[in-house]
Amino acid sequence: MMKKPMFSKLTGAIRNTALTAVIGAGALLTGCAATQPGSNQQGAESLPNGMKGDGHEYMLTVTRPNQLHVIDTETDQVLRSCDVPGTFGNGSIAISPDGRTAYVLTGMYENIYGFDITNCEITFSTHQSYDNVQVKSFISMAVSADGKELYTVQNPVRKHSDRFETMQPRLAVFDTSGGLKTQPVRTFPVDRRITKIAAMDNGEVVLGGGDLKAINPENGETRLITALQNWDRAPDKWVPPDAFAMHTMGEHVGEFIMPYFTIRWNGEPGDESKADFLWGHVRIDLKTGDVEMIETVPFEFIVFNWVTDPNDKNVVYGSFNQLSKHNFKTGETLGIHALDHTYYNINMTTDGKKVYVAGAGNTVSIHNPETLERIGYLKMPGDMSTSDLRLAVLK
Amino acid sequence: MKHLKSFNKKAKMLDRTTSQDEVEDVVAMQSMVGCTSVNDPGWEVDPFGGLGSLCQPMEADLYGCADACWWPAQVPDTMSTHPNWSQDVSKADEDWRKLDSVFPEE
Repeated sequence: MMKKPMFSKLTGAIRNTALTAVIGAGALLTGCAATQPGSNQQGAESLPNGMKGDGHEYMLTVTRPNQLHVIDTETDQVLRSCDVPGTFGNGSIAISPDGRTAYVLTGMYENIYGFDITNCEITFSTHQSYDNVQVKSFISMAVSADGKELYTVQNPVRKHSDRFETMQPRLAVFDTSGGLKTQPVRTFPVDRRITKIAAMDNGEVVLGGGDLKAINPENGETRLITALQNWDRAPDKWVPPDAFAMHTMGEHVGEFIMPYFTIRWNGEPGDESKADFLWGHVRIDLKTGDVEMIETVPFEFIVFNWVTDPNDKNVVYGSFNQLSKHNFKTGETLGIHALDHTYYNINMTTDGKKVYVAGAGNTVSIHNPETLERIGYLKMPGDMSTSDLRLAVLK
Repeated sequence: MKHLKSFNKKAKMLDRTTSQDEVEDVVAMQSMVGCTSVNDPGWEVDPFGGLGSLCQPMEADLYGCADACWWPAQVPDTMSTHPNWSQDVSKADEDWRKLDSVFPEE
């Protein structure tokens, strides 16, 4: 579907202007099916089921009917598959800093279960809806840098007998040691339309919505990081950025990254003959809080997500119908590799030696970042749909 | 169609066609050619006016449209209204024939 990156959270401005212009221009409840128990030696004594610690890396994703899969990035095999309770949600995953617990959004975007990825034991759960209030979280999950708190953005709707009442969205703070059927320990009002969130080392939570903001989860104080869909962004010079913002990644380099599409009016607003159609992104270093916002890559094809090359932060890799490689400092496209079907999602190992694309269908494709050639291929038991593809670095 | 008002050009064309007693033609067009009023998410053009930047194949994108309630008029909304619509079909590209239409409950 083409419309996702174009219309994700945007007003009709993109729909009416950008798209038209472009066309014109051209253990409780635990289920564990250990599919391929590992036989690795390192760390086998301290970690169950052959899992390796000491920084060994596992790629995680969720497939239908509703399973969390643990892929060993050394062997590129599915090491473990954990049954997730409830109806497939959207497959969002947040990972604890020690890499051991994966929080999965399930049950029609409402419930969260935390899994010990070494044995599929469920160590955390919450059902966000209550009474006649339906509470859904769209993508938005993050774990604090110390692993003690889980954050979600809750979108509550009270279902009256004669109407729905849309309530104020809020940041919910959970104690990760709360165990099963836990509830938030604090909540704070936030903007609507928030999807991607991330926890910074300074304790703030990045809120990816119409604008990028940060909230202090201790007291709810919010500050603007950068204006995106905002009049402050010179509407006579730019079309408001259109971010897909449906997946979370960047953990391999410790960053929050959100690509978007925009148009720069070099002449009069609406004069397509003088306009530049561009990919840009906002990138936040979660350790330092440094923010980078840049628009340089020509809008020549579609990218749903992109990730940073750990060995050259000017280089990003994008996924959709092609795996692509870009230098956004120069705007140069360094390589394109056609994929066998659409992949929404992309991630990398911390050493930058493998690129994984996943999401949408039921295969995970693994590529050499230098050549973009395929070096591995995994057939999964079900479609990944909107699921995340997250890297767990197991301590 | 008595209770629906045509809103855009396409709807008005459909309305004119049905009023000409050519219902079968409309049904055939929807079923065989593809139309956004039926379960056929692949029916559109990309921002460049072509097809290369549409999701490929359409089945790979099917649940991405349903689970996120992206196209609730074209595919059942599994986020709220029809959570069990596709529970028995893990791979849309292999078993799409098992996915059926849904209808409003009385």
